Amino acid sequence: MTVFMILLAAVIVACALGVVFARSPITAAVSLLVGFLGLAVLYLALRAEFVAAVQVLVYAGGIMVLYLFGIMLVDNQVLRLTRQVHFQAWPAFVLVLALFLWMGHRLYHSEYAASPGGRPAVAATADAEASPQPAPAADNTRRVAKVLYGDFLYPFEAASILLLVAVVGGVFLAKKEV
Amino acid sequence: MSIPALVLVGFLLFCLGIFGVLARRNFIVVLLSIELIFAGAGLNFVAFSNLWQNLTGQVFTVFLIAVAAGEAAVGLGLLIALYRVKHTANVDEARELKG
Repeated sequence: MTVFMILLAAVIVACALGVVFARSPITAAVSLLVGFLGLAVLYLALRAEFVAAVQVLVYAGGIMVLYLFGIMLVDNQVLRLTRQVHFQAWPAFVLVLALFLWMGHRLYHSEYAASPGGRPAVAATADAEASPQPAPAADNTRRVAKVLYGDFLYPFEAASILLLVAVVGGVFLAKKEV
Repeated sequence: MSIPALVLVGFLLFCLGIFGVLARRNFIVVLLSIELIFAGAGLNFVAFSNLWQNLTGQVFTVFLIAVAAGEAAVGLGLLIALYRVKHTANVDEARELKG
């Protein structure tokens, strides 16, 4: 299982590199799609079955198709022949490297890394203290729904309003004469 | 694979996304890099949800996916508006405010 997850993480990071460094936006989008599918499998391994399903349905199925349509409406050959990065790429690289090292440093000196190797990721062992018997996959959705519609009911409604406003705004921006 | 290693993968996705936003000139790739930032944050939410056996992290990931969907809608609207005015998706071309 550990080898599998390391392999999965490697695939996800490779896809992320493909997104950032690919020349053609189509390549970047398909690379991101593969990365999202890998992320969904990782969520499954982390016992977050509902989030994994939402990831596949909404991200891989919905948002990426939207992006591919956007690329087909806009992409042209001229764009691919021009330089792909700003002059500020090197300062940005240094900045991002510093950010990553700082966050890694904070993580390394945090309480999570204190225990040898941290706690194992797969919940099959961690379940023992949380619940007497290992929860079946269908139970995850029920428990997420209880939290989502219980503690987070108002944020849920706010998210629906946000989505409505965002979609109307997107249509308004893309309309012919504004 | 331990939880800190997964959190490190989330950091890596986040940082790659920020690098894409800062360095790339193609607006579509900038939007895809923003999705990468969201993905890194979501992976960390799920990893900590697993660590603490607390479902709030997973609920936050669901909210995060909703916010990402809204961002994609507005971003693509902006992309098409930019393309209509400038006939390009190069973010360096949109510099009217620079004066």
